Amino acid sequence: MAIISKLIKKSDTVWEIPPDFKEGMRVPARIYATEKLVAEMDEGVLDQVTNVATLPGIQKYAFCMPDGHWGYGFPIGGVAAMDERVGVISPGGIGFDVNCGMRLVLTTLTYDEIKEHMKELVDRLFQRVPAGVGSSGFVKLSHDEFRTLVEKGARWCVQNGYGWEEDLERTEEFGQISGADASKITQKAVERGYRQIGTLGSGNHYLEIQVTRRENIFDPELAEAFGLRIPDQVVIMFHCGSRGFGHQVATDYLQVFLKVMETKYGIRILDRELACAPFASPEGQDYFAAMKCAVNMSFANRQVILHRIREVFSDVLRRDPADLGLHQVYDVAHNTAKLETHIVDGRPQRLLVHRKGATRAFGPGAEGLPALYRKTGQPVIIGGSMETGSYLLAGVDSGDQTFFSTAHGSGRTMSRSKAKKMFHGKALQQDMERRGIYVRTASWSGLAEEAGPAYKNIDEVVEATEAAGISKRVARFLPVGNIKG
Amino acid sequence: MADIPKTPMMLITGSLGSGKTTLLRRILDSAAPNRGQPPALQAGNPAAGPAARIAVLMNEFGELAIDSRVISGKNIDIIELAGGCVCCSMTGEFESAVREIIETVGPDYIVVEATGVAESDALVFEVEDNLPEVRLDSVVCIVDAYLGTRHPYVGYTSRSQIASADIILINKVDLVTPAEAQTVEAGVAQYNDRAAFLRTVKCGVDANLLFGQTSRHRGGSLFPASEDKFDSFAWTSEKSLDKTKFDELVGELPQELIRAKGFVRFEEGGRLFNYVVGRADFEEFDVAGTELVFIGRNLDRLRPEIENRLNECRV
Repeated sequence: MAIISKLIKKSDTVWEIPPDFKEGMRVPARIYATEKLVAEMDEGVLDQVTNVATLPGIQKYAFCMPDGHWGYGFPIGGVAAMDERVGVISPGGIGFDVNCGMRLVLTTLTYDEIKEHMKELVDRLFQRVPAGVGSSGFVKLSHDEFRTLVEKGARWCVQNGYGWEEDLERTEEFGQISGADASKITQKAVERGYRQIGTLGSGNHYLEIQVTRRENIFDPELAEAFGLRIPDQVVIMFHCGSRGFGHQVATDYLQVFLKVMETKYGIRILDRELACAPFASPEGQDYFAAMKCAVNMSFANRQVILHRIREVFSDVLRRDPADLGLHQVYDVAHNTAKLETHIVDGRPQRLLVHRKGATRAFGPGAEGLPALYRKTGQPVIIGGSMETGSYLLAGVDSGDQTFFSTAHGSGRTMSRSKAKKMFHGKALQQDMERRGIYVRTASWSGLAEEAGPAYKNIDEVVEATEAAGISKRVARFLPVGNIKG
Repeated sequence: MADIPKTPMMLITGSLGSGKTTLLRRILDSAAPNRGQPPALQAGNPAAGPAARIAVLMNEFGELAIDSRVISGKNIDIIELAGGCVCCSMTGEFESAVREIIETVGPDYIVVEATGVAESDALVFEVEDNLPEVRLDSVVCIVDAYLGTRHPYVGYTSRSQIASADIILINKVDLVTPAEAQTVEAGVAQYNDRAAFLRTVKCGVDANLLFGQTSRHRGGSLFPASEDKFDSFAWTSEKSLDKTKFDELVGELPQELIRAKGFVRFEEGGRLFNYVVGRADFEEFDVAGTELVFIGRNLDRLRPEIENRLNECRV
């Protein structure tokens, strides 16, 4: 287990593995974590982050965030920036759930105002935002309409009445990443996705009603700027992605890459799960354009879910959504690869930044931020386990050390099967209800997988990102109502 | 429980392109009527007989069932396949989907295809702990020998699939040399020292080995035999057996013994018995006497010892 003996301590929160650790490493690897978090990391993190360091075109370091654990190819929590011209693009560095991400929504309500409505709110949300493995949504689309939607993203939703214009500027890429090309996705991908707009999915995806207490505001000025202005303010946070569609896009292109990687491009990789193609190659560009369709599908998915949330709150509380202050704070992905400009060796360079289980955290003034957040830095939404709470952070200037990337959640400490052995879903639900968290789930055993102790301590994770200077704490939220996918 | 037999289930895992769909096709083809031998000649295979009804459960419909009419249930969508088999895609969660299949389709056997990235250990636990209606018959993991030769490193997702498998098919051995197949197998064996390893071409595996004994069918082998040669022997007894002694024997079966199955009569009652590489299952069942089949490697050497111990079990 203990990987710490193999790491060089650079600071209290930065640990390095030099290139001579493994044959083929082009750059050193860096793990961002406190000593305690590193000690809890599995051997797979060390092995995988150093595998990533061998990929062609990687710049500066292969990174792993404080919530890292082993994943498909890359560790979850992995960040790797590739040179646009000579680097590769790898589905294993993005994740199968492309643009899995978080959205945070404000209300002007206090906990006391909704307390008595909590069960009704959660029950109604559970009905209107379908959860579960294959669940289908209420937005009925033809295959052609779906192909249009994946090119237009959340903008399509707003144009069709599912949301407000202002939602778009509060979404990464303004809800529509450019360059999405539906001619690059397979029919099978369309078939898996076209009924899933407006659905949470399964696994660790959730929708939560949360409360922010006064003592959990860490930066009052930023909290105010992000819309947290009243004591015991209720917010809504949700976590989901591109469902079966993103999974199929990744699967389709993994197959393409496995065929051409070695024979056509002469790329030798250590782990087949790191299958890749040169970013500039036709195959790499096709995947990039298809992956962007999944990015847009996911933005659209979260946009429709926000629309449903507004409907439910408005119905239950019999007030207009605008009157309830149901404004979005931000929507940010934690499974993507994006072309960004970063300073490398003193010069601006175009890099393809893979973030898999890692969140973009642009500092103040960054290009790509809406005017609203130009001064504050980007809001970063970190989902904790359903029992322990979640965070709102902000990007900072010193985030340049990780290409402006930070953690995405608390990260598992035990396998799903181990969690299932230790916890029982129904008992957990009753226990949580006694503690003031009302939960609805599509799966009891799935609930057990998400028990608080199955995850790293969220406080330690975000404190590590703050200590390392890759993001700063703004507020912490406590769950009061939860729908587990 | 004796009056409601458990539905046997096979989990198929393996990385992308390793051969999961090929194995599924073989299983389904074998279940179609008018294939293979007359039912009377078949023994021990649920895929045998004209009426074997296999339900395949997958996350989403794959290549097996495109352009077919979909019947929507509560937790599953169902497509009828040739020969009375069905393909089901999950629309709800796993446990409910399995229960719905048992209630509405009533299959003789359920095959679950886990996607290329599934955490199969969690699925195994789910079946064993939360689905008393189901008996986990085997967990089969398919490894691509060709890709495994080109990329010997075993990824972490594959490791978790390998670790939870009973039977590991080292598939596509026609594309590599025997030495290369051996290297791939040795690499995989680091993560599972319990499983039976079989080298296959296009997932050609002996069904007798793949399937345990089911309560409804006493079928036979329909698949072309795999590359490996297996031995088998039968053992019968009219007398009841001592459960404690039998359990001891089962607990000490050698690694070369891959599968054992059949019907056992104990003093306390009959049982449907299934064993695969160290994992044994007994289900209450009305039997007249004991009929067992043992399948594995080097049985010529092992058979006398096993038979001696079986004879000692006789009450």
